[in-house]
Parts: sequence; C-alpha cells; structure tokens
Amino acid sequence: MTKKVYIVDDDEGILDAISLILEESGYKVETSSKGNQTYERVTHFHPDIILLDVLMSGYDGRKICKILKQDSKTSKIPVVMISAHPSAKKHVMEYGAEAFLSKPFETNELLDTVAKFTNG
Amino acid sequence: MHIVRKFFHYLNPMDHLGDKKYSVIFPLFINLLLPILSEIYVYVIAANPMMVGAYIIFLNVFFVIYFSFRDGIQGGIITSVISVIYYFYIIYSRHYSNLQFSSGIVTTIILGFIYLCLALIIGWLKESIDSLIDREANEKIRLQTILQQLPVGVVITDSKGQVTQANGKIEDMLGIKIPLGYTVGVDKSLIPGRQKSRQISSDKSPLFQSLKMRKSVIGKEFGYLRNDGKHLYMQVNSSVILNRNGEVIAAASIISDVTQQKELEKRKDDFVNMASHELKTPITSLKLYIDSVSANIKKYHDSKIDKTLISIKKQTGKLQELVSDLLDVSRLQTGKLSFTKEKFRIDTLVTETIEGIQGGEKKQRIIFENPNPLFVYADRFRIYQVLANLITNAMKYSFEKKEIYLRIKKLEDKIVVGVQDFGIGISVSEQKKVFDRLYQVSGKKEKTFPGLGMGLYISKEIIKKHKGEIWVESTKGKGSTFYFSLPLKGN
Repeated sequence: MTKKVYIVDDDEGILDAISLILEESGYKVETSSKGNQTYERVTHFHPDIILLDVLMSGYDGRKICKILKQDSKTSKIPVVMISAHPSAKKHVMEYGAEAFLSKPFETNELLDTVAKFTNG
Repeated sequence: MHIVRKFFHYLNPMDHLGDKKYSVIFPLFINLLLPILSEIYVYVIAANPMMVGAYIIFLNVFFVIYFSFRDGIQGGIITSVISVIYYFYIIYSRHYSNLQFSSGIVTTIILGFIYLCLALIIGWLKESIDSLIDREANEKIRLQTILQQLPVGVVITDSKGQVTQANGKIEDMLGIKIPLGYTVGVDKSLIPGRQKSRQISSDKSPLFQSLKMRKSVIGKEFGYLRNDGKHLYMQVNSSVILNRNGEVIAAASIISDVTQQKELEKRKDDFVNMASHELKTPITSLKLYIDSVSANIKKYHDSKIDKTLISIKKQTGKLQELVSDLLDVSRLQTGKLSFTKEKFRIDTLVTETIEGIQGGEKKQRIIFENPNPLFVYADRFRIYQVLANLITNAMKYSFEKKEIYLRIKKLEDKIVVGVQDFGIGISVSEQKKVFDRLYQVSGKKEKTFPGLGMGLYISKEIIKKHKGEIWVESTKGKGSTFYFSLPLKGN
C-alpha cells in the first residue's frame, strides 16, 4: 500500500524538492506552506508520517507538534521535524517529535528517515 | 563681629599658608607699635633697664618669627629692619657714654644679623610649605578636571571602601547620585540588577573584591536596569592603590558603558546566524533536486550530463561547507557551539576522513599507516572537522604530486596527530597568525587560495574546547606540519 506523507514548510522550494524526491520513491505526498489547519488536514488525509518545519513565518512547528501529539487521533503518527538549527534537535524531542533532520540534509538521509518510520 | 573675625584672620598665621600675596602693610603697621608697646612696659610694669632690654628683644624675636611665618621672608625682613632702626633710635636718643654707645651698636648689629637669619630660615620654610600646598592643590584640580572629562565612569574609595570621589560620567551612566560616605561592600547596593527586583550585591562589586583580595579585577561585566527603564551593560575594571610601603590607601574602579558595543555584536551575530540559516534552506532543496535529476539521468545513461551533475553537486557541497563554517564561527564567538563527547578510535576516524576527502581526485597521495587502535574521548564530528580541515589545507597549499603524511603518536598523557605537507610553507612571522580568524597565507606571486580563512580558527577553537593544543612547524618553501593534541586524562 502506498504510504502517505504530509509536509508542512513555509519554503516552497523545500516543499517542492522533498515532494519530488518522495514521490519518485513511491510515496503519496500532500503539502502545506501554512501551519494553520494542520490538525484538520492531518485528520482528513491520514498520513503515515508528518514532516514539520520548526520555524515558519507565523507558525511554530513545535506548537503544532504538541497539538498533534496531545490528540489521540493524531498522536500515533510519527513526526519528523526539520530545522537549520542543529541545536534544535534536543528541543524538538521534548515536543514529542520522533526524529529530526538538520538542514541541509542528504537525499538518502531523508529517504532513510521516512522509510524507517513508515515501514513499522 | 565681622571686623573682629577679619582682624583675627589677619593675625592667624595658619590662615595665610599658601597665601601668595605677602602683606607689607600689616607687619609694617604692627611693628610701628613697637615703641609704644615698650613705653607702656617701661611706665606701667617695670623701669629696670635690663628687664626693658630683655623684654624688647623677646618681643622682637617673637615678631620676627611671627611675621616671617605669616608673610614669608619679606615680612621677616621688614620686622628685622624696623627693630634695628628702633634700637639705633634708642641708642642715639639716650646720650650714652662712648663705651656704651659702641657696645650698643655692636649688640644691635649682632641682633640684627640673628633676626635676619631667623627671617630667612623661617620665611624659606613658609615659602616651601606654600609651594607644596600649591602643587598639591594644582594636582588636585588637574586630576579633578581629567576625572570629570573622562568618557568612562570613575569611582575612588579609601582603604575601607568609602567613596571619596566619583565623576559625573558614572552618575550619568547609573542615573543615580552616589551619596557621600557610601561604603562599598557594606552599604546596600545602589545598582539594580537586570531585573528591578534583583540588586547586584554590593560585596560582589569589583571594587570590593579588589580591596578584599588586594589585586586587580579586569573586565567584569554587569547588566542592569536603569531607573528610566534602559538596559545597560557595563564593563568594570578595578584595582587597589598602594603607597610606597605597599599598604592599601585607596581603590579605584573604571566603569565603561559597553551597551552599544554589545548590541552591535549581538546584531552582527544575529545577522550571520540568520543569513547562514537562510542560505541553508535553498542549499537543501538544491541538493534534493540534483539527486532527483541525477537519478533520472542515470536511466538514460548520458555520461556527459551525469558528469556535469557531479560537478554541480560538488559545488553545492562547497557552498554548504562555507555556510556551516560561517555559522560555526558565529557560534564560537557567542559561545554557542555545542560538543557531544564520546569514546572512539581516532585512527579509524583518520582513515575515514582521508577516504572521504580523497574520494574522487588523486592529485596528492595521502599516506597514513597506523596499525594500533587508539581511543580518545572527544566530539567525533568536531575532531573530524579539524582533521578534514588540516588535510584539505595540506592539499590546497602543497605542490602537485607530493605526498601528504599523517601520523598519530601516543604520548604519556596525550595523543598527538600530525599532518605533514611539502608545499609552500609558512614564514615564522605568519605562523602565529594562521590560527587567527579570517587570516590566509598568501603564496608566491600573490597567488590567492580559495576559502574564507575560517578553517584553522575553527580548528583552534575546537581543540581548545577539548583542552588540547594546536600548532604548526614549518619552513617557507619546504612545507608545513600541523599538529594537534588531545589529552587522555581529565577530559
């Protein structure tokens, strides 16, 4: 069955590039450049994994993550947080994220991380 | 009352210390009372001529001492001359015999001489005291003026910490008046901390520390909130002032307002930080795109496009390294670079680093033979950064087709890693500077080498954080060996 990935990032370039790579590897991808309505969209789309940018203009990825992790409908979905701050790693774990990708990451890193949490 | 006070002021010789305007009128006037005073004595108290003589001489000695102390040499001389004239008048007016007359003249001359000597000695003493007082007063005014003009705050206390002086700048800076008699380390602090509720404890003040430890305190920084709501940073230097016998007589504190400097620094760091992060995002997507295109191209077996893509990927990698170097430098300066130490085999790390760097190009041969496993406790990634930097430098600055040697040596308490090249070398004067930020060694004919000159600075800081050392041995034109050491214990 095709695995579904939901990506939230305010940078269109990143959204587009990640979608491209994941779609080529056979994932079904849905994206959003805005942080609001993440919960609604997630409950609608039922992704197998969520990729979430930590710092977006106007939205805080950490807060979104916390909301998702507090709700029983969404708490089971693994969340991978993405940031250009390598030091953000320890903080995002506190918000309940399963993994962390530090920009700029390699294509393999991205694929391995997504595969690891969707093949379980 | 005013006249009486003024009269006593004229009489009191101590009031005239440091008084440059030698009065001629006052001694002249008082001395002219001399005949009247002696006539009163003769008629009212005693008529014994011996007693009268002794009395007059006593009175004159007193006057000479008094006036030479009050008005200096000039006053003493006036008194002496008037006395001698008065003696001559007595001798002349009393119809003495020849013998009495001549002995009177001799006595007068001797007494006149003694008076003059007294006037000169005491007058000189007074004038010396005057000039001392003068010099001290001038010195004080000079110091005061300088203190007030200084662009930094100055607080001076005595040996017990009581404030004796504070300039205007410090009061402007703190926005408070420093009360007279304020004692550092005893009285409650005048300076609120960064939060209004928190006072900076006054016994933590560098001034008090200086007095307590009898030594200088340099570059202490304090942040505080001024009453008008402005946040300030001050940098404080303090030291004790010792007298010739090595006893503490005072302590002085120099306080500079470094708020603007701090703000600028922070803004610069924020900018570099933000710029690096902003740069990282497009690099990330660029790399993903390249990989995607690359994967598609492979299906069509077009080797030419594939080669171009490898070049694009390599250049993106370089861009990525520059950005992360830039970020590392800014983090090092703000002290935010984090380290995660673990136990690992440094020989394995060296082998991996060499493989990673040598990858495609084989311009230079890197030789590393180390059969023994050697463990260190350090941040693996950061040590990899140092190794990669030293090896790429060796390749960059060495002549083509020359070998590069890597060696690891285990000493008693540390491990030393050396990277040797046979390249352009570094002159002695440049050897110290290579580890400075943004410094680059230039080669022959001003040939420039790529890079921003951040690598060795970052390496030095990383090694410093591991309590190790980094250094270079080099001969211009023959090559260099860069070493770094990592301690085995206490790390």
